[in-house]
Amino acid sequence: MSAPAVRIEGLSKHYGHVVALEGLDLDIEPGLVLGYLGPNGAGKTTTIRLLLGLIRPTAGRAAIFGRDAWHEPVAAHRRVAYVTSDVGLWPALTGGEVLDLLGHSHGSFDAAFRDELLRAFDLDPTRRVRTYSTGNRQKVLLVAALMTRADLLVLDEPTRGLDPLVDQVFRNYVRQARDRGQTVLLSSHELSEVEALCDEVAIVRAGRLVERRTLTELRHLSALAIEASFAGPAPDVSAVPGVRALSTEGSTLRCQVDGPLAPLLRALVDAGVTRLTSREPSLEELFLAHYDDPTTPAP
Amino acid sequence: MRLWPLRARRFRGPALVASLSARRAVRSGVIWGAAFGVMTGASALSYDKIYATAALREALARAFGANVMTTAIFGPAPALQTVAGFTSFKVSLTLSILGALWGLSTTTAALRGEEDTHRADLLLAGPRDRVAATAQSLAGVAAGLVALGVAVAVVTLAIDATGPPSLTTAQVVGLAAGVVASAGVFAALGTWTSQVAGTRHDAMALGGEILAAAYALRLVADAGMGLHALVWATPLGWVEEIAPLTSPHPLAALPVVVAAGALTGLSLRAVAHRDVGAGLWARDDAPRRARRPLTGPGALSRRLTRATILRWWIGVAIGGGLIGLVAHTAGQTIGGSSVQEIFSRLGASAAGERAVLGIASLLLAVVVSLLGVGQVAAARSEEAFGHLDWLLASPIARTRWLVERLAIAVVAVVGASVLEGLVTWVTATSQGARVGLPTLLEAGANLVPPALTLTGLAALAFGVAPRATASVGYGLIVWSLLVEIVGGIGALTRWLFDTSVFHFMAAAPAESPHLLASAVMTAIGLTSGALGVAAFARRDVHGA
Repeated sequence: MSAPAVRIEGLSKHYGHVVALEGLDLDIEPGLVLGYLGPNGAGKTTTIRLLLGLIRPTAGRAAIFGRDAWHEPVAAHRRVAYVTSDVGLWPALTGGEVLDLLGHSHGSFDAAFRDELLRAFDLDPTRRVRTYSTGNRQKVLLVAALMTRADLLVLDEPTRGLDPLVDQVFRNYVRQARDRGQTVLLSSHELSEVEALCDEVAIVRAGRLVERRTLTELRHLSALAIEASFAGPAPDVSAVPGVRALSTEGSTLRCQVDGPLAPLLRALVDAGVTRLTSREPSLEELFLAHYDDPTTPAP
Repeated sequence: MRLWPLRARRFRGPALVASLSARRAVRSGVIWGAAFGVMTGASALSYDKIYATAALREALARAFGANVMTTAIFGPAPALQTVAGFTSFKVSLTLSILGALWGLSTTTAALRGEEDTHRADLLLAGPRDRVAATAQSLAGVAAGLVALGVAVAVVTLAIDATGPPSLTTAQVVGLAAGVVASAGVFAALGTWTSQVAGTRHDAMALGGEILAAAYALRLVADAGMGLHALVWATPLGWVEEIAPLTSPHPLAALPVVVAAGALTGLSLRAVAHRDVGAGLWARDDAPRRARRPLTGPGALSRRLTRATILRWWIGVAIGGGLIGLVAHTAGQTIGGSSVQEIFSRLGASAAGERAVLGIASLLLAVVVSLLGVGQVAAARSEEAFGHLDWLLASPIARTRWLVERLAIAVVAVVGASVLEGLVTWVTATSQGARVGLPTLLEAGANLVPPALTLTGLAALAFGVAPRATASVGYGLIVWSLLVEIVGGIGALTRWLFDTSVFHFMAAAPAESPHLLASAVMTAIGLTSGALGVAAFARRDVHGA
């Protein structure tokens, strides 16, 4: 049986008394696209820096395809490409030189695919990094990571600074990567991006993993969003079992409902509902629900 | 419990930029000024102990009073029969140079550094214009200048008061004013280079090169070649002419004031005419095809460091060449047993031109060591700016990257040392000196072990406490230099002498290189470097 693309066991990172990550367990199977979500300071970037062996774990371990991230970084990194948005590139080098450097440092890259990526992202590699816009610098990093066709793509806020057109190009290439069997760990605040690309979602809060499910599972476990219109004033359904987040605006009622729908439907029909829509919650609503819910475990 | 909003109250209102700038400038001004005061006070105190008799003081005056070489290197030595003259000779030029470095560093950090980190963008997005913000930053630096001068005066007087009265308050205040003059004019220069250069690193490098040129001009002016008028062409010459401890000449401060004012005025005009984050000198930002692909971290390191190393090599060659030019003439002034005895305190046990070249080796060792430590500091900058993350996220071992960076530092140090020996030989023999090429190449090689020691210790700091890399490396160089200068003509306890890396270096070619000491220094440097590499492999990668 092959090793998981990523195996994280009891991983913790403390900075003195500050706990950045505590007892994280996470496996990512090969070929999976995992969205890694959490608010600022939750521990997402700390997890990624631990996974890349840039910082040393206080406890636990992280491995990439069976290679320990801290003790065997060179072997582990042969199968990884990394993108982040908050560290600088060498300002005096051209974009092409950065691609040369990172490609050769990785050990191998697909030159024809690199050229295709340059065209697709509309990036001029002859310009120096210091003359690039923020978005163009980000394009350099995306091309550098994708052209290696690495088995694991670790993407930390990869589309920050990109315009919507380039964002679509990026999504297409991530889907291609998944189709080729590459594994993707995508940390992002762009929930629409995660929703569009990821097979599963892991949510981290205050340094601990609080949820790990497929989007379908998350939706099944979550409330349904209901919007109903009436000929007269909207009724009060707050006493109906399972109803929460209730709001009314004139003759329109909005709420969420957990569990069986029948009691609410009966109440709405009795009140003379004229129009009814229901939909599954968006990832953003699911994410916010996790952070609004006082019963969600937190350290 | 003190909450941050209470502290932030200080930064409200129109003086916000000045407050931010002053906080850092005053703190460093006090630290540097206190160190200068310790050096000056200790020097004054040592005089009565070392030169207790009139005969010894006369010998001292004969050795250095009219010595072309020591005047060229360390500055004029008038009135060596007095504590004020002695102190002036020992500390004035050194403090002028260190003060100049403080001025350059403080203004380039306050102006260009804030733009590099984009903090200036945040401030300028507020209700203030760029010229006013720059003026406020300079007001903060001015507060630092005042703190520097006050610290020099207070600490010097405090230390001097622990012994018999030697320096008057007026003399000490004059000395502090001289330091402030040097720091001030170079702070103004830093203001200008911050407008011209595209980054703080470039602004500091340009300022450093102008400082080196200023020193070289002053050296030529004082080298007895009939070119003393050149002393008015260099800021270090102006400060030298002020001569606060021996024969105060306040009018010599006029060019300092004029130059500082002109540079500041030009800079404020330039601020209004350039983009924030860009220098006046257009950089070569034209699109460029790759000449040769960067095939890994070694190629990258070579690309990033070669221009800097080349500039240092040129500087070292010029410095060695100038010393070689004056060595023969200056060497003819060294003779007589009492004079020889005084000179031997500086390690120059030989006579003539060899003694001169031996004394100059301290200066050259400092320069070569700065080159080595600078390479380690540059490696730390790669980490601080986050560039290293990209390499270490690739299948590249941390140890490989750092070993390659340190290997470049070693090559830079060895190359500079050999080049110095070669160029010194060319210029010295052109003036009639009878020193062979092997002797001067050996003297050049003699600079390598202390530079390797300091480079290795900086690498150890990089491995253990990366944010302290530059402070430790440069601090050790400055400390070792101060110990040598204060102790060279004065008196220090042996253990204090032993804290100076340069103390273990022979003053070649005045004496033969100490092979054992050189081997030990090299071993310490290599071992420290290896420990630094090992520590780096076990620690977190830290940002700025």
